[in-house]
Amino acid sequence: MREVVIAGVGLHPCGRFGDKPYVDMGREAVAAALKDAGIAWSEVQAAYCARMYLPATSGARILKTLGMTGIPIADVEAACASGAVALSQAYMAIASGFYDVVLAFGVEKMPRGFMDPSAIYEDWQIRMGLAVNPMYWAIAAKRHMADYGATALQMAKVSVKNHKNARTNPYAMYRREVSVEEVLSSRMVCDPITLLMVCAPNEGAAAAIVCSAEFARKHSARPVQVAACVPRTSLYPWFRAPAAYVSARPNPPSVTTRAAREAYEMAGIGPQDLDLVELQDTDACSEIIASEELGLCPVGEGGRLVDEGISEIGGRLPINPSGGLLSNGEPIGASHLRQIAETVWQLRGEAGERQVEGARVGLCHVVGAGGNAAVTILKR
Amino acid sequence: MTDAAETANVHSKKRVPIKEGFLTTPLSDLREAKLQGSRCASCGEVFLGIQHGCQSCGATGMETVVLSNRGKLYSYTVLRNRPPGNYMGPDPFVPFAVGLIELPEGIRVISPLTHCNLDSLHVNMDVELALDRLYEDEEGSEVIAFSFRPE
Repeated sequence: MREVVIAGVGLHPCGRFGDKPYVDMGREAVAAALKDAGIAWSEVQAAYCARMYLPATSGARILKTLGMTGIPIADVEAACASGAVALSQAYMAIASGFYDVVLAFGVEKMPRGFMDPSAIYEDWQIRMGLAVNPMYWAIAAKRHMADYGATALQMAKVSVKNHKNARTNPYAMYRREVSVEEVLSSRMVCDPITLLMVCAPNEGAAAAIVCSAEFARKHSARPVQVAACVPRTSLYPWFRAPAAYVSARPNPPSVTTRAAREAYEMAGIGPQDLDLVELQDTDACSEIIASEELGLCPVGEGGRLVDEGISEIGGRLPINPSGGLLSNGEPIGASHLRQIAETVWQLRGEAGERQVEGARVGLCHVVGAGGNAAVTILKR
Repeated sequence: MTDAAETANVHSKKRVPIKEGFLTTPLSDLREAKLQGSRCASCGEVFLGIQHGCQSCGATGMETVVLSNRGKLYSYTVLRNRPPGNYMGPDPFVPFAVGLIELPEGIRVISPLTHCNLDSLHVNMDVELALDRLYEDEEGSEVIAFSFRPE
């Protein structure tokens, strides 16, 4: 297997952009990544486009605006892990020696508020009022509180931290600091989760130029190594949308834990070697639970990471220095590749005021509908 | 949802479950009907409704089981906003609780919690099944949905 690197990344900001076509958003992110990599579009040999709520052949519709070069272009979808599946396809194509340069990109344009429930839920769930994504996060949070003593205050602190980190992120949707009081007193969505503890489905685009280390040496001055890229689906049971029931027997390791263990093994590192983490904070308690599942702390102690300042920029292990999903929103197809772009900048020392000093190893994590999750580890 | 005891006495209309296979039949007396599931003959895992294969071990031998109408509240939340799409609950919207109900058969079912005070819910409390009419379908049949209520 050959060493795989990311030669360049590009983002279109996250937010809501009215009538701006997704084709323009995608093209801007791809063009920025090509420029960053110093690679011409004509050198790209294949492309994978991650998207969930856009029409068929979105990838081809976007890339034709750069010139129709005849390469294979495929759209991929794995809910919140869509971008990781696009990256994984590029990774495998290059590691195997089949291609030297592959584009992995993601784009999304989603309506405001709740997502269309019929995309993932059955009709009876919608009629009974059970087709509500934050419901799953809230039920998981409530049980975590009962089992381990996680508190709404800790969840509020996660939201405060991530909003603070996003202040200087020009690509974030929300760049305003919030206070603990503001988070706790914002509108209740699903107890104990308040409005300022949940992420917004929104719009955005992200791209990465993935190539062999050998090819990169000739073109790019600042390649970042893809040490592992592991998309997985859950074993039974899976308590996230659109589950209607789960087993009450002792559960096998979660899909996040399984993906992380494989990624650590593949990269030859452990959680103690990480300098920063971008993880799926769809809601504030998900950051606490995912921290535990990724092995960043013992089970039940995720709240301590924020209580003790460990997960702050400047702490021992900064979590979501970009502001996470809470500040960037979740443009689903683009979400993992947005994390990748942030981490590449961090490892190159180009993250400006939110720079994690001396960062050498970063982990990106997504998890979502259908039991999909992924962990990618980047190294310089 | 209307009260179970009240709808139980209306026999004139045809009744159908919210999803085929979720409830035992007949539905003429809603106090007698129960949730129905499938048990894997190979690994013993229990699922809600009729299943043709086991999601846990992949075996195809499944047997139908009647699920207990009493369980414990494993966890819960309160939905404060009207659920999206074709939600058939009260209009205007009334906030309601949703729980993950652990049944003795080894399954936890996501279910609305009805006939309860939203402030008195707590993890591990005892709950029991309540079957009620949710709406009337295009053919005029009463569609019966499940929920749980504090015992």
